[in-house]
Amino acid sequence: MSARNDAPPRRSALLIQLGGLYGIWLREVKRAIRDRGQLVGGVSRPILWVLILGIGLNPYFRGEVYGEVTFVVPFTYLQFIFPAVVALNIIYTSVQSAVSVIWDREFGFLREVLVSPLSRGTILLGKVLGGATVAVMHGCLVLMLARFADVPLTLGDIGQALGLMALLAFALTSLGVVIANRIRSFEGFGVFSNAVILPLYFTSSSIFPLNPALTGAQTRVVYPEWLVTVVEWNPLTYAIDALRGILIGYTQFDPALGISITAGAAVLLFAIALNDFRKL
Amino acid sequence: MTAAAAIRIEGLSKRYGRTLALDEIGFEVGARELFALLGPNGAGKTTLMHILCTILRPDSGRALIGGDDVLRNPLAARRRLGIVFQEPSLDDRLTVHENLDLHGLVFGVPRALRRRRIEEMLALVELTEWVGRPVRTLSTGMKRRLEIARALIHDSEILLLDEPTVGLDAQTRGRIWQHIHALRAARDLTVLVTTHYIDEVEGCDRVCIVDHGKVLALDTPEALKRAHGGQLLRLTPRDEGCRQEILARHAARLLRAPEGGEIVLRADEALIETVLAAHGTRLRALSVEVPSLETVFLSLTGKELRDQAASLRDRTRAFGKRGGEHTR
Repeated sequence: MSARNDAPPRRSALLIQLGGLYGIWLREVKRAIRDRGQLVGGVSRPILWVLILGIGLNPYFRGEVYGEVTFVVPFTYLQFIFPAVVALNIIYTSVQSAVSVIWDREFGFLREVLVSPLSRGTILLGKVLGGATVAVMHGCLVLMLARFADVPLTLGDIGQALGLMALLAFALTSLGVVIANRIRSFEGFGVFSNAVILPLYFTSSSIFPLNPALTGAQTRVVYPEWLVTVVEWNPLTYAIDALRGILIGYTQFDPALGISITAGAAVLLFAIALNDFRKL
Repeated sequence: MTAAAAIRIEGLSKRYGRTLALDEIGFEVGARELFALLGPNGAGKTTLMHILCTILRPDSGRALIGGDDVLRNPLAARRRLGIVFQEPSLDDRLTVHENLDLHGLVFGVPRALRRRRIEEMLALVELTEWVGRPVRTLSTGMKRRLEIARALIHDSEILLLDEPTVGLDAQTRGRIWQHIHALRAARDLTVLVTTHYIDEVEGCDRVCIVDHGKVLALDTPEALKRAHGGQLLRLTPRDEGCRQEILARHAARLLRAPEGGEIVLRADEALIETVLAAHGTRLRALSVEVPSLETVFLSLTGKELRDQAASLRDRTRAFGKRGGEHTR
């Protein structure tokens, strides 16, 4: 109707979406890098867990009861916990960046992109990819401590680990967005930390192994049954287990299970997040 | 006029629970017009803006942006729009340039054009020397100017400004308006602006006064003053007895008389004489107001400004401002 002949050439629709995706991704990454609070957390968390908790609990890891070794994991506690700390850093960062969706939604930025020509899918994907990228970077901060945890890494290991970490980060950022979309007011990140991250982390066989020498039935005798059930139902258990398989070569389950569960969770959670996001 | 309308709104209604925010509202904004939407807080201005910028669905009615229906063809409508929301939507942690560049990327502005536009727009709003600074170091007025500049990075033809001057001091408000006029001249823009500052709409082409989701009056500022702007008489009686007497005697001319506040009457010379003669000694204060948009507004809506209690969102925002939760 109002064709303007002086209009500059417009980009094709796909190019607009890709450009926007890049823009949103870049914003997430830049914001995260400039946020000192987040960076401090990303550095101090692994140091606390690996260097203090890990080293402190190292001597107690061989489960001796009255001088009798009940089970032996052929690794030090430090090595055992190391992959889990990588995952912990990813969880924190992923959920944290997803929580920023609340701020974006209520006060500003999200509105600005919601009135742009970008589709909701592109906006969400940019946001999740950005959050996941930052989370993987924070995971790498832990990987740099590998030497101190006696975890020898080859380039191949690192490559595989990065792939799984990216998948995990994507799934967790989507999870964060799903949660954030269901929250109307915001009382602080502490709520998330205590209600989502830590329970998920502690019940993922991250800081203690289920006894590999015992059968399923025996495990339920050694540990309270509810705990075993929770650990087995926690999808994170399998992701961390697979990561452990890559980094220190010790698994309690089939590593393929971990990869497929993580990938499945990533797809499912992103789909739920997208569905929520369309309604905004 | 109909064919060239930049914005056409027909019978729009929107209800939030029991509140009717928009009640079959309808009007047209012509191409290249500077159109002001004036109303107290809660009149439905922001609701209307949100429908126009396609982030809120109306219950009924339709709205066209340059011929594109905001419901059926939102993407086309969005491409024509440059929007400045009431609440700041800049990214505090990014620099001025990064914010503008991001906007350009998101709106699919090619790189060369993006660079040129950013330069032009920053020059127009006089923020060129701030280009590399993080947005959080800017003053509120500068942020507003930056947002206006941002809304014009892509090929927007219609600029929607939702309360661009709210919360700013008088000097900064004047400056923002200067920029709006300058940008309009430079870009051939249609501008729809909402405000509840009456003094600001004097320079607009047409003014639409809304309250309770309805159009009360729509005309040029001069015509509105002629049609609705009589003199106003503001009275503050010394005692309750006098107050009651005045209220009883001039009920027909009463515009507003809040509990314990001043009485506002529609006045002419004769009435002023009468009031002075009858109650002159028992008044604490009396003032006569000449016709202005302020008096137009008051005589149409019977009120000056409505205050709002802090909502949940306001509290959450306050939390963010106080706390520095690093998710912000």
